[in-house]
Order: sequence, then structure tokens, then C-alpha cells
Amino acid sequence: MSSVRPPPVPGSLSQAAFEQRLRDAVMDAAPMLNAKLLPVSVRSSALNRALAAGLPQIRDDLWRYADLKFLGSAPWAPLPAAQDANRWLDAARAFLPAPLAGFERLVFVNGRHAPALSGSSPAVDADAAPVVPERTRHERFGWLNDAFATDLVRLHVTGQRRIELLFIATPVDAPQAQHPRLELAVLPGASLTLVERHLGDAGGNSLINVAAQLHVGRDARCVHLREQNLAAQAQFLDTLQTALDAGAEYELTQLVLGARSARSSQRISLYGAGSAARIHGVAVAQGHRTLDQSLLVDHVAPDSSSTQVLRGIARDRGRVAWRSRVEVAATAKRSAAEQSLKGLLAGHGAEIDLRPQLEIHTDEVRASHGATTGALDENMRFYLLSRGLDPETARGVLEWSFLADAISRIVDTQLRQLAEQQLLAAVGSTVAREALQ
Amino acid sequence: MTALLSIRDLHVKVGDREVLRGINLDVPAGEVHAIMGPNGSGKSSLAHVLAGKPGYSITSGSVTYAGRDLFALPAEERAREGLFLGFQYPVEIPGVNNTYLLRAALNAARKHRGQPEIDAYDFLEVVRGKARQMHMDESFLSRGVNEGFSGGEKKRNEILQMLVLEPRLAILDESDSGLDIDALRIVADGINSLRDPARAIVMVTHYQRLLDHVQPTQVHVLARGRIVRSGGPELARELEQRGYDWLLEEAA
Repeated sequence: MSSVRPPPVPGSLSQAAFEQRLRDAVMDAAPMLNAKLLPVSVRSSALNRALAAGLPQIRDDLWRYADLKFLGSAPWAPLPAAQDANRWLDAARAFLPAPLAGFERLVFVNGRHAPALSGSSPAVDADAAPVVPERTRHERFGWLNDAFATDLVRLHVTGQRRIELLFIATPVDAPQAQHPRLELAVLPGASLTLVERHLGDAGGNSLINVAAQLHVGRDARCVHLREQNLAAQAQFLDTLQTALDAGAEYELTQLVLGARSARSSQRISLYGAGSAARIHGVAVAQGHRTLDQSLLVDHVAPDSSSTQVLRGIARDRGRVAWRSRVEVAATAKRSAAEQSLKGLLAGHGAEIDLRPQLEIHTDEVRASHGATTGALDENMRFYLLSRGLDPETARGVLEWSFLADAISRIVDTQLRQLAEQQLLAAVGSTVAREALQ
Repeated sequence: MTALLSIRDLHVKVGDREVLRGINLDVPAGEVHAIMGPNGSGKSSLAHVLAGKPGYSITSGSVTYAGRDLFALPAEERAREGLFLGFQYPVEIPGVNNTYLLRAALNAARKHRGQPEIDAYDFLEVVRGKARQMHMDESFLSRGVNEGFSGGEKKRNEILQMLVLEPRLAILDESDSGLDIDALRIVADGINSLRDPARAIVMVTHYQRLLDHVQPTQVHVLARGRIVRSGGPELARELEQRGYDWLLEEAA
């Protein structure tokens, strides 16, 4: 790294001003930071790392498509637990989806655990130790979650559990940050089905900064559906790190549908022999949204496998960026990696940036990747019109067809249906909704 | 009695190339017309233009369908008014249920006619019956539209759609190509079952063999964007024996 720093990405914010904002935030946040959940030493060292990493640089390939202008005014300190807690809860109820049958529900409102809206399960296992993963500069905003997280989910999963995590943002008067945090360990042989949804409307001057760390133990299984469907003003940062032990299976499905600007930095480490990851992703950017995902799949162990099916639609002046990097280490013999990325441009000012990357350090590997971007197929469109469907329905049906590819492989029926329902709403055709029946 | 479909001096271009150069054709209700001709003669262009496919510019001429100016209607309205195009190359639409498309298509037409949506159970009964008629396993109904279908299965699916939608005017673009003998007979039986005094069928085909099974009222030969000869079923047999060259020479 050069010692001379070029101007950072958010033009209006200098490095020094960013550092000052963080230091001020520590003062504001100090009374709210629970040292029992995360020790002060952990927080302070994370903050120092974030300060050293600074803002992403404009030339940094990992960040070039992210829209981080909002960092110029974004607050970092979380709001005090509401004095007007009931107002928050009332506002949150409007965004609360119907319960998923058979799931334990945990609800957080504006970053705070809301037992009144949750089931009876605790959010934190008393005997579970804090999980603070190693992070790289790719995952730099995760350090700020380490520094500022208030409430969190920290669970050791045994047996078979189905858990629904709802993070609801509601409009608040003052600028605020929320730092939703997941520390989940699926213990050897156990099975977790996890729904994680970020919903609601936090207004324009709020920041949501998620950090999720998952460990899937030996021969354990985790099926994870994540949805980001925040209102059009939201500013969303996300750091996901999942590590898989030997024989572990992880199925990740991401629905990236909301927010003004959303950036995810994600790493899936296949460090256990024979571990497997199946990754499905869908992003739909309309209006002026910028949805930027950067994913690293790290094959370390032999006989590990990963598949990715990522689909993005950009409408209006929306932008979808998907960087997906697969690294296969010399130790990951007989591994298999498949990547399929597709983009659909559906607006004159829309933009799609797909970047599949593959780096292999062993001969014994099966790897394939493909990336294509295009507009709706005119022949498909005409086929539907020639059957009497109106142009708007035809568009919805074809967008659905394009996205369905990514979620049709979800094994869990309940999760697949939830994903289908959310995507049909995203393609915005009521008639197309019947496509499933 | 005016014809259901009436084409007058139709000229059509694709880019700078004139693909139809003055077509005149009348298809009365109750009749089956075959349009034959060598590759590149404009057969598929004619079918596409009638169904409203984008990419064709109509430079002159007119088409009247059921007494209305066909070109004043967008493609989806032509369909709802009972015009059906059976595609030579039906597209695959993965993830969109075959039965859904059929129901959406049928309901679009019903709504257009001021009828209520069809009852879901009644509809399923109808579709199952038609699928049996086309010798299609019921599993095809719950698959994605043409997804992973063989060429022949796609063609049978087109005829299935036609049977469910019961169009007034069916334009079938090479519905016989790529079919083995058994499938050809099934497709032909499907087409024959739609014959009706109130309907008309236009079959675009390269070969005579479909016409062995579906007896046409009239046969037209298209060459270089014009109809160069019209006649009865015997014209098709003559073409089978003599090929197209003699007609092309006459037309030149």
C-alpha cells in the first residue's frame, strides 16, 4: 500500500473528516455500548483498525462501484434505546411481516431488541463467547459494527432450529446508525434454517451497518435466506463472513431489493474438507438505487464445492454491481466451483457491472464461470404478446423468469415460497404473480 | 360475404430489403389455406407481419381481419381478437408455468370479450383433455413454458395452445417441420379438430406431407415476396413432384 493516499471515494468527505466523525461517534456512543456483550478492548481495537483502513480509495477495485457518498453525512453512533420505545414499536408493527410457521422469531427495531414483538427465544446464549472474526480492508465496515454494535444475536445452535430475524427500521427524528449483528455458530451435526430480513423505513439520514458472522460446524447444515428490502432512502452497509468446517453445508440466498445505496462485502470460507456452499442471489435496482455486492468464495480445503447463481435487474437509473471472486488454494485439491452471473438492463440510464473472477492455485479443480448482460429478449416478449398478454404483464413474466433461475434451487419449500413472493412483488406485476400457481 | 382475412397489395420491408412485394390473399371463414414456397420466399415474414411481430415495416397495402384494420391493432389485441400464431421456433420461458401462460392467455381474451375469468377447475379439465388429445403427458403442463422440450414437443405444445384458445384465425408457421411421422399425425389431427365453418386456418409449410393429413381448401405458392400461383390441393402434389424451380422461372 502506498503511503500517499489519493482522494477517497466520497468526494465531499476527507480522510481527516471521516476520522473525526468516528472519534466523535465514540464519545456519543460510549454510554450505550454494552461491555458485557463486546469487551471495550475489542471495540477499541476494531475502531483503530477502521481508522487505519480509512475510507475506501477511489482506485480500489473492490469498491469502485459502491455509492458511498452518503458517508459524508452518515452518523455512526447508535441512538439511545428509545425514550419513546412504544412509538418505535407501533411504527415497526406496520412493517412486520406475517409470522413464518414453525420459526422462532426475534425482532429488532432500530437496532434494539424488541422482546414485545419477538417470540420467547433469547437473542443471546448466556454462555456463548463473543465472536469477532478476522477482517480485511474489504470488510472494513465490519470493524465499525464491532465498535458500535449495541444489541445482537449470539446463538449456539444445536439440534434443528428454524429462526426468523427481523431488523425493522422506523423513521426517527435525529440522524442515527443501526448496527445489526449476528454471531451464529451451528454446532457439529446441527441444522439451522435462518431467515434474516432488513425491512422498514429509516428516513434519509440513517445508516444501517450489518455484520453477520456464521460458523457452520462439522457435518452441520445452514440454510440462510437474507432479504434487504428497505425503503428508497436507506443507506445500507453489510459485512457477511461465513466459515464452513468439514462436511458442512451452507445455502445462502440473498434478495437485494431496497435502499438508496447498499453495499455488501461477503466472504465464504470453505476451510473444512468436503464442505459445500450454494449461493443464490437476486438484485433488483430501480429508481436511483445502487446495489453493490462483493463476494469472495475462498476454497481452502480439499473436495470443497461452491455454486453461484446471481441475477440482477437494473431499471430506470438503477445500478447493480456484482463482483464475485472465487479463490482455490493449493490445498483445495479436487474442488469444484461454478459461477453463473446474469444481468438484465431494463432502463435507458440503468447500469449492470458483473465481474466474475477466478484464481486457481491447484491443477485438480473443476471450475466454470459465465457472465452475460443484456436487455429483455424481443422474441420472448413477442411470444407472450402473441398470446394476448399486455406488454406490462409480459415484462413482469419475463423478469420473473429471469430471476426465478436463482431461487428455483432453494431446497426448503417455505423459504423458496417466501423468496418467490418477494421477487414477484419486486417485478411488480400482479398478473405475473399467478405464474406460480 | 367478405373474407375473414383479406390482404391487399401488401408490401413489407425488413431494413432495406423488401420481403413482401404485393401480396393479395382472401381467406374466408371455414377454409384452410396452405402457403408454400422455397426458403426465403417470404412465408414466415407474412405470418409474422399478420401477428404483429416488431421489426417489419409495412410500406403499402392493407390487411382486414374480421372487418377491422389489422395493422391498427397491437399484437396482443390481435391475439385477443382471435388471431393465433403457431411459431416455427417456439421460445423457452423457464420458470413460467406452461399452464399459467395458457390460463393468462385465455383470460386475456375472455376479458377482452367482456367474459369473466374461467373457473380454475374447469380450466384444468379443459387443458388436461387437450393435452391428452395431443398425446402430451400431464407433466408437461406443470413445466416451464417449452423448458427443455424437444423440437417436436414444442410444436405439439403450440397446437395445444391453439386448441385451448380456439382462435378464429390460426396462422401456423411450419408446424410440421422437425416432426416424425407419429408426431406429424398428432399435430395434423389437432389442426383438423379445429376446422369449423366459423374459423379459418393458414398453414405455412415447406413440404407437402402435412397436406396429406390436413386437406387444404386452397394452396398458394409464394416466391420472392409474391404469390405466383394459387390452386387446389393438386397444386401441392404437383410441387412435390416438380419442385419450385419451374414456378420461379415462370415468375421471373
